[in-house]
Parts: sequence; structure tokens; C-alpha cells
Amino acid sequence: MFSHLYVDTVAKTGRMGRLFVKEATLRQILVVTDGCSNSGMSPVAAAALAREQGITVNVIGVIEKSEIGEKGESEIREIAEAGGGLCDIVYPQQLAQTVQMLTRKAMTRTIHQVVNKELQEILGDSGITELAPAKRVQVAGMVDELGEKSNLNVVMLVDTSGSMKPKMSAVQQAIHDFSISLRSRSGQSRMAVCSFPGKGKHMEVRIPWTEKVEQAHQLSSDLAMGGITPTGPAIVEAIALFEHVQLPQSLSDRYRDAHYEDDGEGNLRDHVF
Amino acid sequence: MLITRMTEKETCVTMSSKVTTSDLPRRFHGKWNKKEYHVLRELGRGANGAVYLASCSGVKQAVKVGFEGMDLLMEVNVLKNVQQGRDSRVGPLLCDVDDLVINGKACTFYAMEYLEGDQLDQYVQKKGTEWIPVLMVQLLARLDILHRHGWVFGDVKPENVIVTHSDKQVRLIDFGGVTKLGNAVRQFTEEYDRAYWHQGDRRAEIAYDLFSTAAMMVRLSVDSQTWQTSQGEPRQTQLLCGIIRKSEGLYPYRVPLIKAFHGKYATAQEMRAEMLAILRESTAAAPSAPTQKQSASGAGGMWISSLFVASMLLLAGTLYYAWFL
Repeated sequence: MFSHLYVDTVAKTGRMGRLFVKEATLRQILVVTDGCSNSGMSPVAAAALAREQGITVNVIGVIEKSEIGEKGESEIREIAEAGGGLCDIVYPQQLAQTVQMLTRKAMTRTIHQVVNKELQEILGDSGITELAPAKRVQVAGMVDELGEKSNLNVVMLVDTSGSMKPKMSAVQQAIHDFSISLRSRSGQSRMAVCSFPGKGKHMEVRIPWTEKVEQAHQLSSDLAMGGITPTGPAIVEAIALFEHVQLPQSLSDRYRDAHYEDDGEGNLRDHVF
Repeated sequence: MLITRMTEKETCVTMSSKVTTSDLPRRFHGKWNKKEYHVLRELGRGANGAVYLASCSGVKQAVKVGFEGMDLLMEVNVLKNVQQGRDSRVGPLLCDVDDLVINGKACTFYAMEYLEGDQLDQYVQKKGTEWIPVLMVQLLARLDILHRHGWVFGDVKPENVIVTHSDKQVRLIDFGGVTKLGNAVRQFTEEYDRAYWHQGDRRAEIAYDLFSTAAMMVRLSVDSQTWQTSQGEPRQTQLLCGIIRKSEGLYPYRVPLIKAFHGKYATAQEMRAEMLAILRESTAAAPSAPTQKQSASGAGGMWISSLFVASMLLLAGTLYYAWFL
């Protein structure tokens, strides 16, 4: 499974790669939104926080005609940059395909970064760029294979503020479609779907961690209307869904405990339709 | 502002590769292999990069410059692997992989054989729909080779198939979707994606490519308006079957098409053989049919009634596939 290049390098240097454990898990938050956040902490800071904890944040802006504006666009880019992820702005019809594409590319990128770091330790500072292209092609093959085999956990964080309403059927379809893509992978994949703003809170878990989303799931019913878009706080709450994360005490008090008190495990299912 | 963003997709996508390929110099040389390229014009854009027509020591080549190096290299990896068995040409030959420097940043590119030809749909538009079955049979032969090497093409669509000017051969271009059998399909287009049509998942299987091929055959045979009517919700292959029933060109091929929709073929070769048989039959039967009609007695009557029986059997088969599978 590992390329000869890697085996060669290990043989030469006598090192064992820490990276190449079979059970690597990639974690991502995918924000689907149509505009600027206007409530709570900065979503860019929230994304940086997620990245610190090994979670990549990707953002998709869904627009109709050209309503998003320059401010919304730059926010989307900044969130993705801070979250170590990718972003794209698309029409609702393109959403399903973009979700799949962005997730895959972000995965490739994360693995590439880890591999590159490993190679830097072996080959010196410049890492992979110092390899001749033919060798790099072998690394690419290895990255591809690792991407397919690794575990993947994705939280889809959907903006359900009023302006998203006409786009919800596309979002719905994208969720179901994404579930099919995840199921087609060799590695273990899980997804969860959350919406923001929630009823009286920043975010609501609509579909808890699952390996398969049934088509019958309906998100569009009872959307919180109004102008509040707490993207930042929603990202912070989404981080809490990843079990590996140790939240700092203050955040833990504010989000995780509150989260579980409000909808403890048993009640989570109530939010799934 | 925003509209340019939309057309120049991917500009927003990455942070590490802010290099946009529009900055590509007219003339450049590879950092490692030192080959010199003279860029002539842009040929198109895929999900992983832009393709340019360039000349390298007097030979025309297609050069693909990546938005993100790793994605492009994965494509090269596949192209290389597919080329290990060169019994027949499936796609373009890989000529060079190298880096070029744009605005001080290294950017990966690869050069491949330039296939001069028409995109499949444009070719059909120019030459007529009677070419479709012939081209499909050819395409299935190419896919079969790919499958036998353990790969699935993934993104079968008219834009990724070319009919060469020189020898009228079908060749696959854009290997960005090519996936190892059993892995998740890397790239797809919804219109031809079996998961989108609720006919299975996106695991790279031979049947995945055959579904796309069948859907593409329907697409090529009808005008875009008819095709649009099949795109409604919920998307079901019954809609495609409806089109097939009404189309004179598709109707004879209904059995292989429906079998492909339902994943009933184990290999592309099997589907190809059945389509080829129908193609031969239709070309043989076409000119003799009117003369037979004039003497519709004795042997002619026998011939017609046997034809009737055969068509009833085909109809029964179609109904069986449409309803029970």
C-alpha cells in the first residue's frame, strides 16, 4: 500500500513514519451559508479555534444571482483560510457536487500537509517540493490511497436563517447526496448535520452522527426566521461534537455542558425528523 | 465582481495556490526536465486545472497546469498507471511532468499528447445521430481496457470524450475522475451519475461507468429540451425509459440501455457485444425491409411474423427490466 518511495526513504534513514497508521481520522466542519454572520464571536476566530484542535473548516457560499456581496465573500474566504480548509461560492444547483468535491480536496490537502511534514523531517526543510516530479507522483498515489482508506468525520453546519429558505431543498438534496458519497468510501465515514441559529440557542443538532442519512430527513420544517446568523458561535458548538476535543474550561462550561443539558443524548433524536 | 468569481471558479478555493493560471507566461520551460513550451491557446478547464495547447520542440502537446499540485499529480499517477498496459490507446499519452514558476511560485504541470478532434456531442451534431451507436460501441471498448487494468473512468460525459480527426477514433480525455476499482469515484457529473439517479452508490464499479455511458447515449440522441424534461424531481430512470420509448434512434437499443441502468452487465465487453449485435442487425435489415413489404406473402409473411415474435420477446424483456428490477 505504501509507495516504494516511502519504503526507500524509511530504509535509507532508518525511521519509522508516525504518520502511516491505518486508523488515521480526518475531521471537518462544512459550513453552508449565504451571507455574513452578525451575532456572537467572529467566525474566523472560531475557525482558527477548530483548526487548532485538528478540525478543518470548509465553507460553501450558496447564492442566487449575485446577492452575497463583497463582504460576505471575503468572510467566507477568511473562515476557510483560518480553518485550514477550502471555500467556494456556488448556485444552489451546484451545491451537492461542490460538497463532495470540496470535502475530497480538503482531505487530500490535510493528508498532503501531514505527509509533507513527515518528508520535511526526512529530506530537510523544503520537503516535497525538493522531490523530482516523478517521485512526487508516487507520493500523490500514496496520498490518494490514504485519503480513501482513512476515517472521515464531517459536521455539516447549515445556515437556516430566513434568506436560506429558498435554497433549503438544494441543501436537503446535498445532505442526502453527500451521505451516498461517504458511504462509497473504503474508510469509515460519519456525518452529522446541524443548523444555525437554533431555537433559543446558537445551533441545533438535526442529524446526530450517522453513517447513513435517510432521504426522509427534513430540515426545512420550522426554520428559525429572522436576521440572526451566529456563524462563529455555531462553529464553536460544532467543535464540541467531535469527541476527541478537550474544550478549554470556559468554553466547556459555556457550550459543551449547556449543549448536553439542553439536549442530552436521549433527546437528540427528537430533533431528527 | 461576483460573476467573474463564478466563471473563474476555484480562484476562491485555495489559499496555498493563489497562482491563477491566467498568469501563465507565453513561453516557459520546466524546472526539472528543462523542456521548453510555447503556449498557443487555452483548450479548456477541468476541475483540477486548465489545459493549454502548446508546442514543445515543434510538436503540439496539451499542457495541463494545476490549481493545486497534489490533485494534478494524482491525475498523473492514474495516467501513468493506465499507460502501463499499452495494448490500445484509451487516452492521451503522458509526455512530461514538471514544475513551472509563475510569479515566483512553483506550479506543477504535465504535458500529454494533443488529441485533435471534436468533443463527442459536437461530433454527433455535425455528423448525425446515426453515428451514436458506433461511437458508443467504440467507447465501450476503451472503457473495457481501462476496467481490465483495474480502473473506472468515473466521469463519463460528452465533454470528456473526443473523436479524433485523423482516424475517427474515440478517446477519453481528462483523467481527473479515474478511480481504482472499489474506491469512491473521484469526480462525476450529476446528469450521468448513477447515485443521482437513485441507481446505486458512488463506488467505482464497472457498472458505474456503464450507467453513465447509457445515460450519455440518451443525452446525445435527444435535443437539450427533451433532456431537460428528464432532469425533474424525483429523478428516476423511468424518465429516461420514457425518452427511449419515444426515440426512433434509441428504441432498438432499449434492452442494453435498460440493463446498463440497472447494473446488469458484469463487463463493458458484454454491453458492447449486445449493442454491436443490434447495430449489425439494424444496418442489415434497413435496406431489405421495403422490398420485403411489397411481397408480403409466403416467405415474406413468415419473415414478418417471426419479426413480430422477436419484437414481442424484446418487449417482454424490456418490461421485465423496467418493472421487476
